[in-house]
Amino acid sequence: MSTEAVAHGEGDDHAHDAAHGAGHHGPKWLAHHYDTPIQQFDAAKLGMWVFLAQELLFFSGLFVAYGVYRNWFPEMFKAAAHQLNKEMGATNTVVLLFSSLTAALAVRSAQVGNKKLTGRLILTTIACAFGFLIIKFFEYKHKFEGGLLPGRFFHPHVEHLVQGAPPLPANTGSFFSIYFMMTGVHGVHVLVGIGVLIWVWIRNNRGDFSKEYFTPVDIVALYWHLVDLVWIYLFPLLYLI
Amino acid sequence: MSTASHDHDHADDGAVHAHISSVPFYVAVFLGLLFLTGMTVGQSYVDLGKMNIVLVIVIATLKASLVVTFFMHLKWDNKFNALIFISTIFFIGIFFAYTMNDTEHRGDHDPDQNVKVWAKTGEEAPGGMVKAESHEATPAAGHGQENQPTGAPAAPAPAQHH
Repeated sequence: MSTEAVAHGEGDDHAHDAAHGAGHHGPKWLAHHYDTPIQQFDAAKLGMWVFLAQELLFFSGLFVAYGVYRNWFPEMFKAAAHQLNKEMGATNTVVLLFSSLTAALAVRSAQVGNKKLTGRLILTTIACAFGFLIIKFFEYKHKFEGGLLPGRFFHPHVEHLVQGAPPLPANTGSFFSIYFMMTGVHGVHVLVGIGVLIWVWIRNNRGDFSKEYFTPVDIVALYWHLVDLVWIYLFPLLYLI
Repeated sequence: MSTASHDHDHADDGAVHAHISSVPFYVAVFLGLLFLTGMTVGQSYVDLGKMNIVLVIVIATLKASLVVTFFMHLKWDNKFNALIFISTIFFIGIFFAYTMNDTEHRGDHDPDQNVKVWAKTGEEAPGGMVKAESHEATPAAGHGQENQPTGAPAAPAPAQHH
């Protein structure tokens, strides 16, 4: 038994410590101010969750506005909801849920080091995001044609409204203020989501990720799940009441 | 607790050992989400009166729980992240409760402020206390807030909420 063999054996046992531990010669994705990959990973996740908490609090302002106006004008909300297209809303819900699945699977395939599949799953998620926005575009187009606009811009055209729906009270504009604000801000989040998904797709193609390091995929997927989370509440509250 | 806590074999080697769920498991969660979506859409065709909104929120919360617990890995994640999430929900609850408690009772008789006005118009409600003077007397009250009840001059001006 040579000393080399012993050293080699020890090297195997402590490969992680040597490579990721002391820091000075760690992998290139390990920032110098972290001792270990798990420390960097936990810090990144913690930061993301604090950001997501902020996002939820930010959206909650819109949900409170919805709650207040809905309680003040329940009949108006009910009448206005009839003008929203349930089928399109439900389709978009399925599209977003599916994209959440592909995002979760992308993280999984990054965790097991399947770069090719990760790329495909991220692309599928991006495609769903575009699909969502396209459906949303046609919904908005219909609202504009019908004059179903926020606040004082509300001037319904009877010929464009849903047949057999209850008549719209004069203050229905406030429903559409809330509708456009909530879905609009959510839509902006979808756009940002597309941006960060493209960024993580490029990095995946570049070979930045491995079984040991997949944090950006995980973080971006968390953001995308939040977009899905907000829509899970938006859809029934706006379309199904 | 670290992310690696479930994996005791490697808990101290400094590497990331995140939980990896199986593909069928993720697909099952997705199917559960689809089922709940179907439920909430189906429910919308049945008018349950006041129970509508309750059921809508219960189903949406079930869906959100599935996404947060499994897709967002909170079940296996560092428990501190779960604490952040749960406290966020708690503070959103406070936000809702206090705001709605205000906006839902603006037309009610308020003996401390000696007023009773309609929340929607700011006009005196039938049977209410006399609302002495007008908005001009207290210009600070009700700027841009059509729903802001105006306090009687004898009483201190109601606190502005913004």
